[in-house]
Amino acid sequence: MNILLKSAIIIDQTQKDLHLKKRDIWIKNGKIAKIASKIEAESSTKVIQLENLHVSIGWFDSSVSFGEPGFEDRETIENGLLTASKSGFTQIVLNPNVQPVPDSNSDIVFLKNASKDAATELYPLGTMTMKAEGNDLAELYDMKNAGAVGFYDFKSPVDNGNLLKIALQYTQNFKGLVYSFPMDKKIAGKGIVNEGEVSTKLGLKGIPSLAEELQIIRDLFILEYAGGRLHIPTISTSNSVKLIADAKKKGLNVTCSVAIHNLFFTDSCLEEFDSLFKVLPPLRTEKDTKALMKGLKDGTIDFVTSDHTPLNIEEKRVEFDNAEYGSLGLESSFGVMNKLFGTETAIELLSKGREVYGLDIPELKEGEKANLTIFNPEKKFTPAEENLSSTSKNSMYLGKSLKGIVYGTINNGKAVLN
Amino acid sequence: MSELSVKHLLGIKYLNEKDIQLIFETADHFKEVINRSIKKVPSLRDITIANIFFENSTRTKLSFELAEKRLSADVINFSAGQSSVKKGETLIDTVNNILSMKVDMVVMRHPNPGAGIFLSKHVKASIVNAGDGAHEHPTQALLDSYSIREKLGDVGGKNVVIVGDILHSRVALSNIFALKLQGANVKVCGPRTLLPKYIESLGVGVETDLRKALNWCDVANMLRIQNERLDISYFPTTREYTQQFGVNKKLLDSLDKKIVIMHPGPINRGVEITTDVADSQQSIILNQVENGVAIRMAVIYLLASKIK
Repeated sequence: MNILLKSAIIIDQTQKDLHLKKRDIWIKNGKIAKIASKIEAESSTKVIQLENLHVSIGWFDSSVSFGEPGFEDRETIENGLLTASKSGFTQIVLNPNVQPVPDSNSDIVFLKNASKDAATELYPLGTMTMKAEGNDLAELYDMKNAGAVGFYDFKSPVDNGNLLKIALQYTQNFKGLVYSFPMDKKIAGKGIVNEGEVSTKLGLKGIPSLAEELQIIRDLFILEYAGGRLHIPTISTSNSVKLIADAKKKGLNVTCSVAIHNLFFTDSCLEEFDSLFKVLPPLRTEKDTKALMKGLKDGTIDFVTSDHTPLNIEEKRVEFDNAEYGSLGLESSFGVMNKLFGTETAIELLSKGREVYGLDIPELKEGEKANLTIFNPEKKFTPAEENLSSTSKNSMYLGKSLKGIVYGTINNGKAVLN
Repeated sequence: MSELSVKHLLGIKYLNEKDIQLIFETADHFKEVINRSIKKVPSLRDITIANIFFENSTRTKLSFELAEKRLSADVINFSAGQSSVKKGETLIDTVNNILSMKVDMVVMRHPNPGAGIFLSKHVKASIVNAGDGAHEHPTQALLDSYSIREKLGDVGGKNVVIVGDILHSRVALSNIFALKLQGANVKVCGPRTLLPKYIESLGVGVETDLRKALNWCDVANMLRIQNERLDISYFPTTREYTQQFGVNKKLLDSLDKKIVIMHPGPINRGVEITTDVADSQQSIILNQVENGVAIRMAVIYLLASKIK
């Protein structure tokens, strides 16, 4: 690898001398060889000179689903990682949203092996319980040794509070990260969308905010009692932000994330019963999106995620009640975040979260490994089905006007360019 | 000639006030027709209609079929229950199979909210929603308003209370939209467990005291307690429900004025209303059934004229 980024504007708020400066960046053998105002290319150097070229450290996404094994028609690991690379993400955490679920060392090894040649690194989650059935703990220590960065029964709430207590206690000696999906199943009942004005008008069964908040408050009490490391994925209500803020003030070891679509959309999108907008947790109200944005900015919410969930057409082109939950997200993440927060904050937020999973934070410095994303934050774009790199096409962002495109990523000695 | 603003009847919330007036005026004409000795007109000889019912129904299906036949349309019936879904056929496939036999219009009842809207985006036929989950049942609301208009002269300005299970009721929702659109004042009444938490956002009042609600209203629409729809118990026993929310003759006679009693049927006699209330002079329950045919003829006729 021998690449020269020409006249790239650096976005890196940790480096005052380079932040917002225009520089040439020479990448050789997977490392950043030189950063300077002007670098002459060698004859063998591939020069990348693109309109309004910006560069930052590679982005990170903590909640991505593909489909391999079991749901390869939704997405394969290979194409999923390629899509992540094209979308600016150099490291992703993979949800155990496959069949059979990864609940053993060998399942984790399979995922690691299947992803080892890609530019984007894959960090798998294992399930917390055997077969993700919510009964008995899976071999968490063994999975951790194989490379699992956390334990999660994907989008399935831990009903049994005692099981969560035990998981938090058991994982302490090897610093395992325990997930608890925030939803009280009984309160949620048969709900599928946010309970509110829209669900009332549409006759759709609602999931009250209470369902999320009740589970979070329970989990926080359990965490306070048991210790350990708790991650609450994809919160969606304004009160959840308050609960987490209070817990952090208390010094509890809790982290949480929010899905980008829960910042961008509200349940008013459901008026036409379009199943592309069926996600879990559901799209909430404007009051919630505002509180979530604020929580992100003040650090209550640790990081954002695309909550990328490919689903094939048969799983979406059915009656709203019968459609599966989830939307694609990787390919629109930057366009949405950049539009919502402006470039500097968007890049900061899209790069956050690695420390929670024990990953090193890449540095944009001479001599460091090149782990970079290149993009143009000014160019407007509108996602269209025919332009998606994902195997599945279930994106709720189709036809939406976004701002900012990704040119590609450089990582592990490989460059993936759009 | 005026026509509807919509190609399908998917819900009241997609209609405007003029649409409702047009449907009522057309229904006036058809009501006269069905009271003739020859109860039939040849208007839709060239139209084929499929009644597709994924959920049990007796009176709605009968009413639609009669309306279609009185317009001289060709009619086919398809009752699926949940079985075809279990066999794996999708809704779009089921309906497209039927449409391949050159069907122009689909009247559909389905357990999922929005099923009609979903279908209208994926198949080429005019769709009439005959009830989609807890979403809408537009022809029921139209015939209810039409019956109020017939009895009281107008719907605008009238006070209407809907009593019973509002949470699971498409009839309630469609009635709320229809009544509000025509300028009526609407309240809902029932146990708190059966009133949607955000129902007031639709511009209706909430009253949990039945006597107060009845004293306020000109019309009380008594909904059936749909035990088959309740996944958990929202009240202890029907006996206790009746004690609080059932209308009997004694209660009716003790009110300050003579209110109109409606019921979309089928009645659980002795639960939401007693027999003497159902059969009283104040009840227009059987008028509703008669008007149902006229209203459905009007809707089908007006939609069919858009196909042509």
